[in-house]
Amino acid sequence: MITKDKIDFFIDKIPPSPKALRETLSLLNSGELVRAAHAAEQDLALKAYLKHIVNKPIYGFKNEVSEISQIFGILGVSSSQQTVYNYMITLLSPKKWILFKLNAHTFHDLQARLSLKWKLILNHLNINDKEIESAITLLPASIIVSEALFSDKIEDVNLLRSVHDLDLNTILVRLCKIDLFDICELISKKWDMPDDVAKIIQASSGIKPSKDSSINALAKWMHLLLFYELSQPTFVEAGLNNFIDFQIDFVSDIYDDFAQVMEIS
Amino acid sequence: MRATVRNGLAIFTPQGFLDGNNTSAFLTIEDIDATLKLNVDMLLVSLKKVVFFNRNGLDVFVKLFAKMRLENQTTVGFCDYDSKKFDAINNFYKNDLNFSLFNTQENAALFTTTFKNKSKNVLLYSEDKSQRSAMAIELHDNGHNPVIAQTKEDFTQKCANKGAYDNIIKNTFLGQMGQKVASRVTGNAIIYTVSSFLDTEIGSNFNIAYHNNSLNVGFRLFIFDAYKVISMNIHALNFFSKLASSAAEYNATICFVGMTFDKTPLTFKENMEDSGIMFYDQMDDILQNKELLEELGASSAANVKNKRAINKLIVSELPNFIHATVATIEMMTNSKAIKDAAQVHEISVEEKKDKIASSIGFYGDMDGMVILIFPKDIAKKACELLIGEKTEDMELILDTLAELVNIVGGKIKTLLSDKHISVDITLPRTYHSVESLLEITNGRKGVQVDLSFDNDKFLFFLTR
Repeated sequence: MITKDKIDFFIDKIPPSPKALRETLSLLNSGELVRAAHAAEQDLALKAYLKHIVNKPIYGFKNEVSEISQIFGILGVSSSQQTVYNYMITLLSPKKWILFKLNAHTFHDLQARLSLKWKLILNHLNINDKEIESAITLLPASIIVSEALFSDKIEDVNLLRSVHDLDLNTILVRLCKIDLFDICELISKKWDMPDDVAKIIQASSGIKPSKDSSINALAKWMHLLLFYELSQPTFVEAGLNNFIDFQIDFVSDIYDDFAQVMEIS
Repeated sequence: MRATVRNGLAIFTPQGFLDGNNTSAFLTIEDIDATLKLNVDMLLVSLKKVVFFNRNGLDVFVKLFAKMRLENQTTVGFCDYDSKKFDAINNFYKNDLNFSLFNTQENAALFTTTFKNKSKNVLLYSEDKSQRSAMAIELHDNGHNPVIAQTKEDFTQKCANKGAYDNIIKNTFLGQMGQKVASRVTGNAIIYTVSSFLDTEIGSNFNIAYHNNSLNVGFRLFIFDAYKVISMNIHALNFFSKLASSAAEYNATICFVGMTFDKTPLTFKENMEDSGIMFYDQMDDILQNKELLEELGASSAANVKNKRAINKLIVSELPNFIHATVATIEMMTNSKAIKDAAQVHEISVEEKKDKIASSIGFYGDMDGMVILIFPKDIAKKACELLIGEKTEDMELILDTLAELVNIVGGKIKTLLSDKHISVDITLPRTYHSVESLLEITNGRKGVQVDLSFDNDKFLFFLTR
């Protein structure tokens, strides 16, 4: 159904990140917001994405924000970097979603919701680290990878799942001995994302806890946040709720704190 | 969301958070209709991977449950929860608990009549005395050995005796159980469970298409488990008499077990006996008596009446049948198939050693049976994807093989439906050896296709 060759082909065809994007990230990394905005202006697709994403209702700005320098100014260094990484991930997304009932709009929504809530969590945990803030951006890559690998096998997957409770990640591991999160790590390496991003994502699978307790703690929050968002009606209807297994025991010790941060009653 | 269906038990497994806003997205009427079409005994929502739920969230499911029960008499409810979740559900629905609760899926399966593993030693406890009795009766009727703990202390003590029980039931509540005529397979006999008052409803609750196809596939002994029947009327009597007449055409036998005639006229029994129906007090009187089983036809499944030739319609759809089979085995083994030969004749297996087999029937716009003969190694490899590890446990392999053949059947159904040919599929049957399969296919002609998967020979046979 899925072979290692198919995975290698998928990784190989991921293009290197565009020059303007690399420059924007590098300047954001050194805190030069104005120059970063200037670099971002050169990439029209990035510019359009930034404008589209920050003007979503979830960001709560009263007036339309249209200038990139204005956007970076409002978001600050960490969130600007996070948003640019979100854009990078969208470069991988398909033009037409088949496996999941998503489109560019709903996928961007998911990215925005994850990013803003991740920031809430980091505030609650008193963590102010732009690399950790950016880590959440790689998580939706697992959805894109699933779409890429399984979209032409929907019927097989559905038949398999009609007799056995298997998530896509488990099917992939059993067939190819590699999981979605390993592929996400390969993507992050190809795009020179910070090492910690991949480590947190790997642990956030819930099945590969990190030996580093601080990374593991963040991974629990990320795992629970993912399933909080994948329980939203739009994403349930998109077929995302059970694309990977929710590890309820992995997050049991942080649930009460999470409910408080997300104001769940 | 799709349900996972095994042994008559359909499970929906939502993950994460359930509230009034999202529950209807998890389970739609279409999802339920598609599941009920698979003739399930029980439909449950698993709470194993739900970290938060509230009353509004569960209400949406509960309303759907009520609708399902009304229309299909399916047993409905929740399963896979801990004590905290069980208490929360009880608090939400204190006086209005009209669905079932099972602490685990495995325990729920004990209450379905299609559950294959019988004679489980089951320890059970409920604070509600009537629930304790109801569970014990259901378990006993399903062929298990229930042990009731009378107090919480008694339960704790008995639980400490590790290894004494196959299943431990606690935090469980039996709502209204299904009233459908459920069926299960024991060896070569099919057991139907009937209960309460048998009247004209039996005609609609009994799956006659499944029964006819079972006759066609080669089953010759049909036992009606009638321990819980209170009485029957003339309409039911006519129904069973007709059933017996049609069974006689196949040289098949119909038996009733545990039926009392306290509230049913004794003349009904005489009429049924005249139609060829036999009566026994206990299930074991038949199942434990090998000679009797042989006499009744349960061990010799040779098909007397039905040696129909495969027809043009089936042959024209042969590529779909082969495609469904090959694609499924390729998917499960991640290997490529090579077609060696295809011929019309009686099934011919050169090397019978180290092979296992499975069959699945289909009926509707066309009818017939697909038989697959696997070298054990291919079967093991194909099952690895579902089991998740290598195994030598033959029972587990045969069980998983049945799931695999179910996938093949599902795929055939989809492919034929694309061509506007509507068929339903039966439960798959597995065989430890080629010899036991050949008893069924005795004398039948069909299309045999020899295939190779990584040089292992695999046989596909399509017959009627």
